[in-house]
Amino acid sequence: MHSTFTSVEIAKRSIIAHTQGLATIGHNVSNASVEGYSRQRVQMKAFDPIFMPGLNRAETPGQLGQGVSVERIERIRDDILESRIVGRANGQGFWEAREKYIGMLEDVYNEPTEYSVRSLMDGFWDSWQELSFHPEEMAARQQVLQRGEALIDGIKNRYMALREVREMSDQEIRVTVDRINSILREVGSLNEQILKVKAMGDNPNDMLDSRDRLVKELSGIVDIAVDQRDPDEFIITTGGLHLLQGRVVHPLKTESDPLNEGYSRVTWADSGNEAYFRGGKLAALIDLRDEDIRGEIQKLDTMTIHFVDLVNENHNPGYGLNGRTGLDFFREYPFINNLAGNYDSNGDGAFDSSYIFRINGTNTLTPQDQVGISGVLSLSGRNGNINVPYFPTDTVDEVIKRINLSGSEVVARLDREGRLSLKGAASENRENPDFVLRHIEDSGQFLVGYAGMLQNSGAAGAYDWGQADAVAALRGGELNYAVAPLTHPSGWIEVNPALKNDPASVAAGYGTNGRPAESGDASAANAIAALRNSNVMLGKVPSFDEYFAEVVADIGLKGETAARALDTENLIMKELEGMRDAISGVNIDEELAQMIKFQHGYNAAARFLSTVNSLFDTLINRLGV
Amino acid sequence: MKRISSNMGNTDMQYHLRLREWQMNSQQNKMAEQTRIGELRDDPVAAAHSTRYLSRMERLTRYSRNAETLQSDNRIAEGYMRSAGDILQRVRELAIQGATGTYTKEENRYMAEEVNQLLNEMVVIANGQNGDGRTIFGGDRTLSQAFRVQEGHYPGVENKLITGVKYVGTIENGKIEINEGNYIESRFPGNQVFWAENQQVFADREALNYQVDQDSTIRIDGVEINLKQGDNIHTIMAKINSSGAAVEASLDPVKNSLMLKTTVPHQLWLENGANGQVLTDLGLIDNYNRPPANYADGVAVAGGSMFDMMIQLRDNLYDGDKIDIGGAALKGLDLALNNLLSELGKLGAQDERLSLIQGRLANEIPEIQQKNLNITGLDMAKAITDLKMLEFNHKAALQTSARILQPTLLDFLR
Repeated sequence: MHSTFTSVEIAKRSIIAHTQGLATIGHNVSNASVEGYSRQRVQMKAFDPIFMPGLNRAETPGQLGQGVSVERIERIRDDILESRIVGRANGQGFWEAREKYIGMLEDVYNEPTEYSVRSLMDGFWDSWQELSFHPEEMAARQQVLQRGEALIDGIKNRYMALREVREMSDQEIRVTVDRINSILREVGSLNEQILKVKAMGDNPNDMLDSRDRLVKELSGIVDIAVDQRDPDEFIITTGGLHLLQGRVVHPLKTESDPLNEGYSRVTWADSGNEAYFRGGKLAALIDLRDEDIRGEIQKLDTMTIHFVDLVNENHNPGYGLNGRTGLDFFREYPFINNLAGNYDSNGDGAFDSSYIFRINGTNTLTPQDQVGISGVLSLSGRNGNINVPYFPTDTVDEVIKRINLSGSEVVARLDREGRLSLKGAASENRENPDFVLRHIEDSGQFLVGYAGMLQNSGAAGAYDWGQADAVAALRGGELNYAVAPLTHPSGWIEVNPALKNDPASVAAGYGTNGRPAESGDASAANAIAALRNSNVMLGKVPSFDEYFAEVVADIGLKGETAARALDTENLIMKELEGMRDAISGVNIDEELAQMIKFQHGYNAAARFLSTVNSLFDTLINRLGV
Repeated sequence: MKRISSNMGNTDMQYHLRLREWQMNSQQNKMAEQTRIGELRDDPVAAAHSTRYLSRMERLTRYSRNAETLQSDNRIAEGYMRSAGDILQRVRELAIQGATGTYTKEENRYMAEEVNQLLNEMVVIANGQNGDGRTIFGGDRTLSQAFRVQEGHYPGVENKLITGVKYVGTIENGKIEINEGNYIESRFPGNQVFWAENQQVFADREALNYQVDQDSTIRIDGVEINLKQGDNIHTIMAKINSSGAAVEASLDPVKNSLMLKTTVPHQLWLENGANGQVLTDLGLIDNYNRPPANYADGVAVAGGSMFDMMIQLRDNLYDGDKIDIGGAALKGLDLALNNLLSELGKLGAQDERLSLIQGRLANEIPEIQQKNLNITGLDMAKAITDLKMLEFNHKAALQTSARILQPTLLDFLR
């Protein structure tokens, strides 16, 4: 026998359930424009009917339904699609950051216009041509000095612009790491609350939405994998290492790296090990800062240091209008004051390395001569030394080419007087300084007796930078080597102040047979102007033309790639988000239609309740007296 | 997708709007700068080519300017040389007149006077300066005179006369670049232009058993010749003869000493190069002076300049020496005139070459400009129509979105 008020209970349950449904509709409609919101639906289920088989079963045909109740409120979403979005978001984050910074680098070049470093350099060479026509003139010399200064300004500006971009990327790295840590903390605390709510048997829908939003943002920053196999512990990993385990956060840290000019290194705060990322904005920024932007600065430095070295080499032996000679045209400031290039790299007060940029041999060589000796050269490379063999039938020219193409960080050429000249190149490995010769060894006699560079062959006579006074291993004296720059050459070059104070000291001619130059002797001016066209081995790039064309093409291609990749990623994300929206997004019309349904349901239940009420009324008030 | 959420329309519209706005902006920038390459990424390879073209155009303009300036400088030099030629012609006439022997001593003296005046004028021409005030015929010593005059008394003549004209310039030819790595000589050393006879230099020391004691160099007329330890006199002579200097070396049969003879009229310049004094050891030069005043004692030097010829004629006329007037003096003048004409010929040939160069450059520069425009220039017509198309699409999209984004069910429910 069931209770009198069973129907009331049925009506009550129905009203409550429909109210909850309406409330959820209201919630959906309110949050329709919230990003990442998944629409929620009430799942109603018929209430447990009576009577279940048991001893208190009434003897009436059953079972009698007991109305409706809300079983759960759940989000409509496709987990697999969501995890796919999380997986792709790091591609978009990566290319977005990359495209932005490469665009900034492209702008630094100002090509192909007349306002670039290249055109300033063209003007510089032109002024030497002018001087070669009128070597007796002061006006032509003033022009040379002015154009030289304009060029140096241009180079410095470009260096400053590149450095600014690098600083910006470093700052963004630090801000991003902070954001990662704060996201992780938020997710951690959300995890705790979600766990508690789930333990009560509820669906923490909105908290789950928040968490998903945070995870998606995080995945744009670093490449992560989310592991939800254990429902009690929400795990986020990157590169196999845990970022988050339930409530426990393993944050990241940035610390200044002295080996990388003080720029930040990203490490795990717990272990102190360096953190590596393969995708996402952070990986892009680190890559940009340490590979692309550093590479651009290196290219500019390489061009500057070789340019300065070549102009000085050709200007030094020349005579000015006032008869002065032996002056460099460009100078670097600050400079290592130590004449032997001794340097204290670990700051303990004792000289422990030699920073030498260029070493010249002492013998004059002819490019077409066959060397007639064999051996193996050992030159510093990216990781360790690179062996370059030479054979008796090789010409001097061929050996030089082999050195330049060997992949070592040493550049070889014959200088103006036919002597072999080895220069240090920019180093790929961040730990090694740029433009410093690190190791030169010859098992035979090419560098020793033939070119007159080293004193002895073999490992005993090798030049190695890891000791002070390494120049003792060289044959020539002070005039045969040049000390390396301490900092970026392109930021610290100036026209020799001695020339600025007395422009008559600008050299135009070399003189003949050891005599000083006459007033009309323009051989030095011609030689310097000819540097423009000649193959002078700028690092691995043969001439200035090649250098300017190559840097432009390089950065342009990088930009093109970044732009296309970003477009592709954007399109893919748009499609995926569209699919997600199709499943989880709120459609107002749909919600309104549902609302009508619930409204009618509510009305019907209310009507039922009032009908039952009138039944009671009849029963209680109308029956009897 | 079968189900469209309410945000989809908005999201899609924004995506396409942003894309199109970016395209329109990029197109506008390109049109403003008149270039197809707004950013390097638009066409990296073309941008790289363009940098090369731009630099090349700068250089070609410079070469064209060099050629033009050089040509006008040459014209000035040519003017001077022609004047010199006129003077020589007149002197030659006087020599022929004087050689007929029909004039009296007095009349000869008048002729000598005229030759003297013409000699003075010749010295002025030889020391001529160009528009910038630089000496033309001094090699690269451009701020001082090319020729220095020595004066003295001649018996029977009241005033001081020029007794010698020495060349005090250098023999450097100078270089001006008129194409990548190609140079043209720009100077005219006076000891070539104003020379008459081939020079001959006879050393005094016996050279048969001479051997070079260390690797060294010698310089003849500025040409460097490398000698190796152990070379004997024959090797040295062979190296001199094959060196490219306008000089012939041989052994004097009488004294077995080294003899050098120029093959083209000019003043011979001998110097020792670095580490060595071979020419001193052979008895040709000393170690103290600079050429051409560095001949050693006992060396016989023959062969004079145009001035020497004129001085000789004038002195003969003062003396009344008919035989020499018609003989040696006339021959000397003929040689001087021949040399001057050949120098003028060289100048003319160089002028022609410079004209050709300018003509070629006048074609090449616009060609490269055109090539640059081809790869970087914007086709304005296409750009404008593209922009118009984008604007049209933009408007259409906005209108469409406005229509379908607005109504919802809410508008129709009571």
